Amino acid sequence: MAAEDPPVVHPGWVDEVLFAGRPTDICLRLPEPIDRAALHRLVTAAQDRLAAAGLRPGGAAALRLPPSLAYVVNLLATWRTGAQAILLDHRLTDHEVDRALVRLTPQVVVAPLRTGAGALKVFVDVTESITRYADRPAVSRHAVIQLSSGSTGPSKVIGRTAADLVAEVRRYTRIDGVALPGERIILLPSMVHVLGLVGGLLYGLHASVELVPPQRLSGDAVLAAIDAEPTPATVLGVPFHIGLLASTRPAGPLPQLRRMTTGGELVPAAVTNAFTDRYGVPLGNMYGMTEVGVIGTDLHGSHRPSIAPAPGIEVRESGGELWVSCPASPYVGSSDPTRWADGWLHTRDAGTVDEVTGLVTVRGRLDSQVSVGGLKVDLTEVESTVAELPGVAAAVVVWDDGITAYVQPDGPLSEEVLDKLLAERLAGYKRPRVLRLLDQLPRTTTGKLVRSTDALRSAATP
Amino acid sequence: MTGQPDLGRADLLTMLAELTAKPAAEVPDRIGSMELAWLVHLVEQRYERRLDLTDDDLAGIRTVDDALAVFRASLTAPADG
Repeated sequence: MAAEDPPVVHPGWVDEVLFAGRPTDICLRLPEPIDRAALHRLVTAAQDRLAAAGLRPGGAAALRLPPSLAYVVNLLATWRTGAQAILLDHRLTDHEVDRALVRLTPQVVVAPLRTGAGALKVFVDVTESITRYADRPAVSRHAVIQLSSGSTGPSKVIGRTAADLVAEVRRYTRIDGVALPGERIILLPSMVHVLGLVGGLLYGLHASVELVPPQRLSGDAVLAAIDAEPTPATVLGVPFHIGLLASTRPAGPLPQLRRMTTGGELVPAAVTNAFTDRYGVPLGNMYGMTEVGVIGTDLHGSHRPSIAPAPGIEVRESGGELWVSCPASPYVGSSDPTRWADGWLHTRDAGTVDEVTGLVTVRGRLDSQVSVGGLKVDLTEVESTVAELPGVAAAVVVWDDGITAYVQPDGPLSEEVLDKLLAERLAGYKRPRVLRLLDQLPRTTTGKLVRSTDALRSAATP
Repeated sequence: MTGQPDLGRADLLTMLAELTAKPAAEVPDRIGSMELAWLVHLVEQRYERRLDLTDDDLAGIRTVDDALAVFRASLTAPADG
């Protein structure tokens, strides 16, 4: 960025788009209700604390917080300051966070000082601390920075402007089947990631939809949250949560339940049917990416497995890959023209667009990205992390119904040591579930590592 | 324990198989937070009671065997204790 073009995130949009509703409207139920006026007071107070710690307009605050009221308040306070929010998933390791901070130079880092009982919680009780980090302007003009597991090793840095976030919020208001003003969203996905952030938090605040995180991550707790109020409720989640509900016996009828909507990969028809048989409401599906937010939806479950592009979004197919309209590159730093060029984001999702209906069908990834509980993980990042560990000569990481690492040690190395080293470097959801140590990894005649799961499985069979 | 037989390792493997769509024999021993949440949920459904698990209990669970030990201890504790 040129020196004469200082990064500024205009703060007015927060009040115009997120705080414009009635002060008495309930924004969050935790389960004690927090109305818009109370949330506004909390945000204003947090702005003072952030400023005292060194956050300035045009700077950045890194939020390393689990889903919590503290996260919501500090995020909105950062934006109302006119600063950039860098969202760091609380599950990332110190190693991963340090790499991000060095690169993104926030003025302050907000992290938990104390966390209340977090066991299987969707939303936790956090007392935050604010630490001064660097005295630099934000690295870009984006309002929010998110990290995505990268194919080149370290995380991809994805930025979205305030205008882009507002456009996505407005896009949601034009989608048939979303929760309406006065209704509730039972919120299961993390608000650090795009579905929970924009489809949950920002849309909810804008549209006066109450956000209700269940008290606990279990089917019973989701049903209790639905049943706690008489108003209509939409459950927002990822495919894992469909299984949770499909395997829960409701104690009685739930007339408030309108639908369940999930983002992420498609679920098998058996799971879909188990859910709809049990609850008798539509199971909606959404397709989106961190880079652009919601791309398409099928909230009535009538196009499965296809989705209709969201209002204002264009999707086209190029050489078997889906491209999505995206006016500016969402990547911070050097932009890879194979990922974004000329107003089109190259999704790396294989898929087709029906010429007559415009419906989009996603048919899987064209690269090494997989989804673990709705979180994107690039196997290349996992593989390069394993291969760089001390004591490892070579490694291949594949998806075999779960992240599986085949490792050729360079001397004595136990699975336990390997597991411990990885726990220091990779967030839990990125870590291999299966580790196989082999004296020699299978290679082709030219010495290249073999990646076929069948060949790797047989090499690992004694 | 509402007349249910004791919880065994095979039960947990069957529950994980349902989540991962793998045969129970191929379920990895290592479990993450999502698998753990799934197991707690299904064990609670099966025994129709809530498992009283602390953060420390859960933080120590890395494998199916760890989970089994923690669940068994919780199930043998008084239900409303």
